[in-house]
Amino acid sequence: MPPKSSSSKEKDLTDEDEVLQAVILADSFNKRFKPLTSGKPRCLLPVCNATLLDWTFESLALAGVQEIFVVCRSYPELVKAAIRYVPFPRLPFLKEKSILIIFSWYTPLIVSIITSKETFTPGDAMRDIYTRGIITSDFVLVMGDLVSNIRIDEVVRVHKERRRTNKDAIMTMVVKPSGVVHRTRSKGESAIFVLDAETSECLHYEHVTGYPPKKHAKIPREILAEHPEIEIRNDLIDCGIDVCSVEVPSLFQDNFDYGDIRRDFVHGVLTSDLLMKSIHCYVAREGYAARVADTRSYDSVSKDILARWTFPLVPDDNHPGGHSYEHIRGNKYLAKGNSVVLSRTCKVGSNCLIGAGTHIADNANIQASVIGQRCTIEANVTLRNVYVFDDAHIGAGSVIEYSIVGSNVKVGEGSTVARGCLIGDDVILGKNAKLGEFERVSRRRDEGEADESDKEDEDEQSEDSELEEAEARQDSESITAIIGEGSNAIVWPKGPRADEEDLDEVERYNNQRLMRIGDPASDLPLEYEGTESDSDASERESDESDLEMHALSRISSATSTSAISTSTPGLNIHTLHDAAAYSEFQAEVTQSLDRAFAEGHSVDNAAVELKTLRMASNVPLRKVREAVVASIVERIEVVEGDAAAQRREISKMVGRWGPLIDKIGGVDPVETIEVLQYHCAKSARLPLFGQILAALYQDDIVEEDDIRAWHARPEAKGEGLKDTSFAENVKRCWLVGTKMIEQFNEQESSEEESGEEDSDEEEQPSKKPAAATAQAAVGKKEESSEEESSSGDDESGEDDSQDSEDDAPATKAATAAPSQPSKPASTPASTKESEEEESEGSEEEESEDDALAPSQPAASKPSASSTTPAVSAAPSAPPPVPAAHAPALVSSTAAPAQPSTQDEESSEEESESEASDKEPAQTAQSQAPPAVASSKQPVTAPSKAESEESEGSEDSEEEEESEDDAASRATEPVPQAQVSTPKASTETARPPATITTQTESVATIPAAVPRPRPGPDVVGGKQNPVVASGSGQVASEGATTSRATTATATSSVATTQHSLRGQSAQERDDDGGEGEESGDDSGETDEEGNTDDSEEE
Amino acid sequence: MSADLHGSQRAVETLVSKLRRRQVVGSREAALETVLVLRQVVSKARFSNIDQLISLIRSVGKRLVEAQPKEHSVGNTVRKLLHHIREEYNTAMTGNASSSKTVYSISNFVLQGQPRKQNVAPKSEATLTLKENDPDDPDSFARVLKPVLMEAIQDVLDELETVYDNISKNAKDHIHSDEIILTIGHSKTVETFLKVAAHHRSFTVIVAETGPSYNGHEMARALSSAGISSFLVPDSSIYAIMSRVNKVIIGAHAILANGGMFAITGSLLAANAARVHSTPVVVCAGQFKLTPLWNLYHDFGALDFADPSSVLGFEEGNLVDKVDVLNPYYDYVGPELVDVFITNDGDHPPSSVYRLIKETYDDDDHEL
Repeated sequence: MPPKSSSSKEKDLTDEDEVLQAVILADSFNKRFKPLTSGKPRCLLPVCNATLLDWTFESLALAGVQEIFVVCRSYPELVKAAIRYVPFPRLPFLKEKSILIIFSWYTPLIVSIITSKETFTPGDAMRDIYTRGIITSDFVLVMGDLVSNIRIDEVVRVHKERRRTNKDAIMTMVVKPSGVVHRTRSKGESAIFVLDAETSECLHYEHVTGYPPKKHAKIPREILAEHPEIEIRNDLIDCGIDVCSVEVPSLFQDNFDYGDIRRDFVHGVLTSDLLMKSIHCYVAREGYAARVADTRSYDSVSKDILARWTFPLVPDDNHPGGHSYEHIRGNKYLAKGNSVVLSRTCKVGSNCLIGAGTHIADNANIQASVIGQRCTIEANVTLRNVYVFDDAHIGAGSVIEYSIVGSNVKVGEGSTVARGCLIGDDVILGKNAKLGEFERVSRRRDEGEADESDKEDEDEQSEDSELEEAEARQDSESITAIIGEGSNAIVWPKGPRADEEDLDEVERYNNQRLMRIGDPASDLPLEYEGTESDSDASERESDESDLEMHALSRISSATSTSAISTSTPGLNIHTLHDAAAYSEFQAEVTQSLDRAFAEGHSVDNAAVELKTLRMASNVPLRKVREAVVASIVERIEVVEGDAAAQRREISKMVGRWGPLIDKIGGVDPVETIEVLQYHCAKSARLPLFGQILAALYQDDIVEEDDIRAWHARPEAKGEGLKDTSFAENVKRCWLVGTKMIEQFNEQESSEEESGEEDSDEEEQPSKKPAAATAQAAVGKKEESSEEESSSGDDESGEDDSQDSEDDAPATKAATAAPSQPSKPASTPASTKESEEEESEGSEEEESEDDALAPSQPAASKPSASSTTPAVSAAPSAPPPVPAAHAPALVSSTAAPAQPSTQDEESSEEESESEASDKEPAQTAQSQAPPAVASSKQPVTAPSKAESEESEGSEDSEEEEESEDDAASRATEPVPQAQVSTPKASTETARPPATITTQTESVATIPAAVPRPRPGPDVVGGKQNPVVASGSGQVASEGATTSRATTATATSSVATTQHSLRGQSAQERDDDGGEGEESGDDSGETDEEGNTDDSEEE
Repeated sequence: MSADLHGSQRAVETLVSKLRRRQVVGSREAALETVLVLRQVVSKARFSNIDQLISLIRSVGKRLVEAQPKEHSVGNTVRKLLHHIREEYNTAMTGNASSSKTVYSISNFVLQGQPRKQNVAPKSEATLTLKENDPDDPDSFARVLKPVLMEAIQDVLDELETVYDNISKNAKDHIHSDEIILTIGHSKTVETFLKVAAHHRSFTVIVAETGPSYNGHEMARALSSAGISSFLVPDSSIYAIMSRVNKVIIGAHAILANGGMFAITGSLLAANAARVHSTPVVVCAGQFKLTPLWNLYHDFGALDFADPSSVLGFEEGNLVDKVDVLNPYYDYVGPELVDVFITNDGDHPPSSVYRLIKETYDDDDHEL
């Protein structure tokens, strides 16, 4: 009776259709374990007396992986030898060159070793895997330093199931929730995962370094919009286990610049608008998984193993190295078989592991340490949290703490090794050696060896150079004192390396300190010291604004914003440099568009082409927009003298190609208008600006709100531009916009009155639903920041003084007006009038926005009739002098108020907190007053006063009257007017809305999310339409805010501290008073306050 | 043939890794797997005398036991098999076994002297011509003996498969009507035992939750689905309710030679509470759980500490670093706390367990 044929069983094992494959990236791609890893790869370092590779094998074998590819770069021979050295006989068949069958602890695994010398990043390894074509199905990708007992097969099952319904789910990352503070969670290298709470799709990934501490993250707005419930988590341990689909290696192949799997690949895939792939997370509630990525995690993983978190992968149960240990009370593990010799008086504390053949002499005290095999610990030795590899010898009376001692090391008698030391293999320390904290020592190489190693590959050489450098300094006496007499050791240099700047952020010294064993890093400023002393409110406020992320985080954080436009010259250089980089791109885009126009491509095709180009050259969206708009404008034929024909021409062109503007990857009509404006200002087609804008409006590419938003931006008015013809032109365009907006206003009012619309304005595009679209402001920030930084430069000299002079008065006037009516003596009744009118206007606007009514072309108001329909009029009749616009007015009227500005400083602070406490609702009108009121002395500033005041600076809907006024009293020099305006508009733009959106997202943020620093903001530039509009627009505002924050974070201006406070205060006030741009005054108050501050300093 | 050897070798290794990785857990399952592997090994083995066979089985057994020393039923099964093989061999060699059909048991062991020398009736009536170390035909010995051995192995297998029924067959004699029974954990044996008893009697079962594994939940569900009135109580109330309990019925992981046992965490608590209230403690266990170990030195490690995550969440980062958490899976319950073991081989007091062990296994197999 032949029992079941076992050969059939074998078939089951080997010939199964779905062999689960795994790829182990055995190289660490960094040097964190130097010098322990000089001479062997990291994956062969022992953890609890089994090599990391064995732990990884075992982790995979637990999950039923049957075929493993080990990719290694350095020391492939050693890896091979290690894999071959398995305690159980291999099967005789299948013994090909590099394919071994091993029993990595008893289950047959097919292990292939792939040696690729050219891999320098995990990305390279993936490309190598792709080229070799070894992957046939979904596979598990792990690093060669994994310790895990997670059921990876379960993850694979989930992954495959998901793939069945969603082909785009290409990868599943395994993450493990841990606490905010956890020994196994790397402080130096963590990440923020934004997960969909339901599907656990990873929506956004952001890498976080421990130092410099990261205060804020950017989350694309779409995520908040598209997913009802998201989790933003920073408490996850990235286990480094990825279940990947076959196409993952090919994606690496396609994107040759992907290096790191997380920072480049995951981030790249998630932010790409082309790939349309999704990545999921598997939040492992059960099981343990962690990587030994650095010496600190080496420590914590070892401890986790000894504390049995990895059960059943524990020393006494399933030790991957095949050793057997006995588990004794107190989580002590002694090798079985009576080979361990413990003297009667030695003390072995809890959480210790002692390998076979080790002798521990009298009075030795061993606590929480791992001792390798065949070690000798002599009398009176104290080991605390020490990891001793095999065959080490610790001399009598030595004291070692929080260190890793390599194999075959001899530590002389009476030595002291302080915390954090790494002692390389074969080192001999002399008697009474005294290693300071965090010393690294390795064996001095013989001459011959040095020569040999020169032949090694490049990377080794760089390491060599480091070594040689270290060797060079070895002669001094002090070194001998460190390593003792008769030592063969060299001491590695401490502190940051010379080429620190070239290193990846993660690998820099201060960040690495967070990953060192035994380093509490308590001297590193990891918390938000500066801000904590600030009022809570400011912190929370900025929290919120920081968390609000804008979609296109491309914007270099170095570009400054107007608020800090005490900007450093360096920023300018930066911009210049960028400009050079873009020029090539622009040429290409132009070509591509020419082709598209000439050959009549479909809009979609052209858009795809542009996207690819953008990806390839990595330029911000705005540049693409500029190029597209430019091409379209330049292709419009100019028809002389025939307005109607010209119009037809334009609408033909815009109708055909206009949609392309919105298809290049982001929709931002405000920016579009601005780009158009600037292009027209440079181009011969300046006169066409109005018509083109109208055509865009007609085609729904821009909306009324967008035009208003654009109009309100300082850039739109040409602020900060040198007084050249260009600036002139820009302003001219702006005035065209002014006209247009007037028309809008008229339409509304007439609508209200008559409800009828007129055929009067053919040019006047039919109004579209004014519903605020979320995209409104998406892309504008880049632009404004550049502009503003340059404007800042222009004026920086005067900026401070002028700011304080101009702004202060303005604010003063705002608040002071009600209390001391007589004071702004210069404020003429007419101004008030105009202000009132304006406020009316703005109210109208609000109501319109509120209604979100699809309004129709309104009958033009009688009053407006004098200003001919802006659009048509513009080309022919250049509008009045730019200098005339109203900002000048305000500042002039306000000027006398200056003296009282000082008081505000003190009261300012309180008001800040108050103001920010406020719900920034759209009902801000009612809330605004208190904010301001408190900042002013006795004033019981009624909201009315503010709204009045704000008008002055606001006045974007200027009416003729005010224009006249302005003209008549335009005694102020133009530049001044400009200075004050940006502030004003900026302030008004501050969206309260940021906060409203936030409240949603904040709710799900676990405490672990780093609290961002209060960030000043200022950019804004968005005008009031926000007031009444829905949260959509609000969100877009948030985008600008966050950008501003980054900008300040990087700003190195000496006065930053002050301006920070001032600005954030300002921001807060804005939020409070935002409703009816009354924010201006309070904002300016702050501003002035802070400038004063800084001046004093 | 060598491929076959590798085949059985592979089967052994597969089981070894499963045991190491805890993919085979539970004493009965482990015992079953062991028998299946040993059957494969025996059927593939080449031997020309009994010693070769014995040493082969012992070496395999040693590997299996070392793979998972805490799964005692593996070693027990190997020992039992060795015992059976020797018996069969002796029967075959001596031709007709001594016709005295004495059934050895505790009750008459004094009369029996050395029970293992006594043989049950040979399985096959045909007289076998056994010739060890036959130089002409080295396989002849194996060829002749193998069918007998396979039958013996089959017996062991059958015994394992019917163990629940055999234990339960006297259930109604142990449980009386309207009794209140307390149990802990989810032991298949106890579950079957109670279910069988429920056919004849109506009684109430109180199930302790059995943290941190909370197996008690399943147990309560299983029992109530069989129509037994059952209550689920927290472990902390075991002592409080003990005064109302008529009998404690629990399962065992392993029964040691001194009469103590390893049983799921919480059993010690229940047994001690029962002792205070003089409530009888009844342990239901298959014979394969009899383990020739005296609990002098094995107590700590043998408790089988699992990972602490069910006691302290991994996300409690601050505590994880500062607190050592132990999560033993088993309790050691001393012999003085147990009143009777109900096995498929009859009911025995703890004091006579050593004797049972002596009868079941050969002395020289205690160390594999």
